[in-house]
Amino acid sequence: MSLHPAHHPSEELLLAYAGGGADEATSLIVATHLAYCAACRLQSRTMDALGGSLLQDLSPVPMAGGALDAALAKLDGIKPFERAARPVSRDGTPAVLRSYIGGDLADVRWRRVGPQLAYVPLLRRGAVAARLLRGVAGAETGPHRHGGLEYTLVLKGGFSDETGTYAPGDLQVMEGDARHNPIADPGGDCINLAVTTGPLKFERLVQKIVAPWFGF
Amino acid sequence: MLAYAPILPIPRRKPAFRLNLPMMPQAQELNALLGRVAAMRDRAAFASLFAHFAPRIKAYLLRLGAPPALAEDLAQEALLSLWRKAHLFDPAKASAATWLFTIARNLRIDAIRRERRPELDPEDFLPEPALGADDGLALADDEARLRAALKELPADQIQVVELSFFADKPHSEIAAQLDIPLGTVKSRLRLAMARLRRALDNKSSGDAT
Repeated sequence: MSLHPAHHPSEELLLAYAGGGADEATSLIVATHLAYCAACRLQSRTMDALGGSLLQDLSPVPMAGGALDAALAKLDGIKPFERAARPVSRDGTPAVLRSYIGGDLADVRWRRVGPQLAYVPLLRRGAVAARLLRGVAGAETGPHRHGGLEYTLVLKGGFSDETGTYAPGDLQVMEGDARHNPIADPGGDCINLAVTTGPLKFERLVQKIVAPWFGF
Repeated sequence: MLAYAPILPIPRRKPAFRLNLPMMPQAQELNALLGRVAAMRDRAAFASLFAHFAPRIKAYLLRLGAPPALAEDLAQEALLSLWRKAHLFDPAKASAATWLFTIARNLRIDAIRRERRPELDPEDFLPEPALGADDGLALADDEARLRAALKELPADQIQVVELSFFADKPHSEIAAQLDIPLGTVKSRLRLAMARLRRALDNKSSGDAT
């Protein structure tokens, strides 16, 4: 995956991921972007080093008496960690995402929403949800605004909207009253990983009625 | 018996200078200790790493609001993780402190927030361009530079950087806690990152001359 995405997570988002304050769904979309983006991997590594520096500079709080002896007593019983052998992805699906899908993108059991769109939920915690979305070439999401943040990472194909054009590895961030109507680019299916921190606010009546049924 | 290929002991380099905390082992020494744990299951090296890192990881977890008994247990667990995973440590990619930080961060997300930590899989992408033999040294040097630069950040910038690492909160909640707009949190973080990056870049331009 030697792509060079054009749209990246902000520094604050990378910091929230490095610091561990970002929720799991948001962390998943950042980690998946990193699989595509060498520049953000480098940034992310610097931010981990910042965490290491902050750790070094914390005033130590003494461990309980006997803590070291207790640890030493356990060492002989500990086997070195071995990475579990993992099946190789057949279609380049990043491993971090595979662990949430339970396989490759090619294995996803899509739930259809009309003739053009399909989705599959991956994770939900309160109002925050991660899902995969698929649109056939030319498919329209329908104009909408946002009840929170909406992150969209292209995995396959591409889409365009009022804000620009997005290709594999590109991360789009939309927020609140920003309105857009993403349309899948011609030439094949567009598959995205999407994370929302609040419901989407659709404009078309039928979508307003239907969207909550599907958890959007 | 553990089947470890014998690896030459990592030479201890005498640090060129001392930070202003005279009793604290240098990044290079910590890396070497970790190398000894990986190569020869050196229990004395483990004990030194425990003495250095366990009380800092405990402090980290307390800062994040963990009850003292849990902070103690997780700090212990982090160091046992070090013993289990030492052979995966790569000094060309991270310092010992950075590596321990990521272990402690992931442990607390797992134990306190009961969530998984989605992590990039090292097999997901082509290897980075080959790193020079001195990269471990350069990285240890980076850590010293980062720590020095951190100390020089303005108080309002260091505050939001620290909260990014020591508060289990998204930036919107950090903004609410500090009673400042979210945009201010973001701009302070960007200013801080720009300064820290400059501190790291100065080194590379300095090396080139």
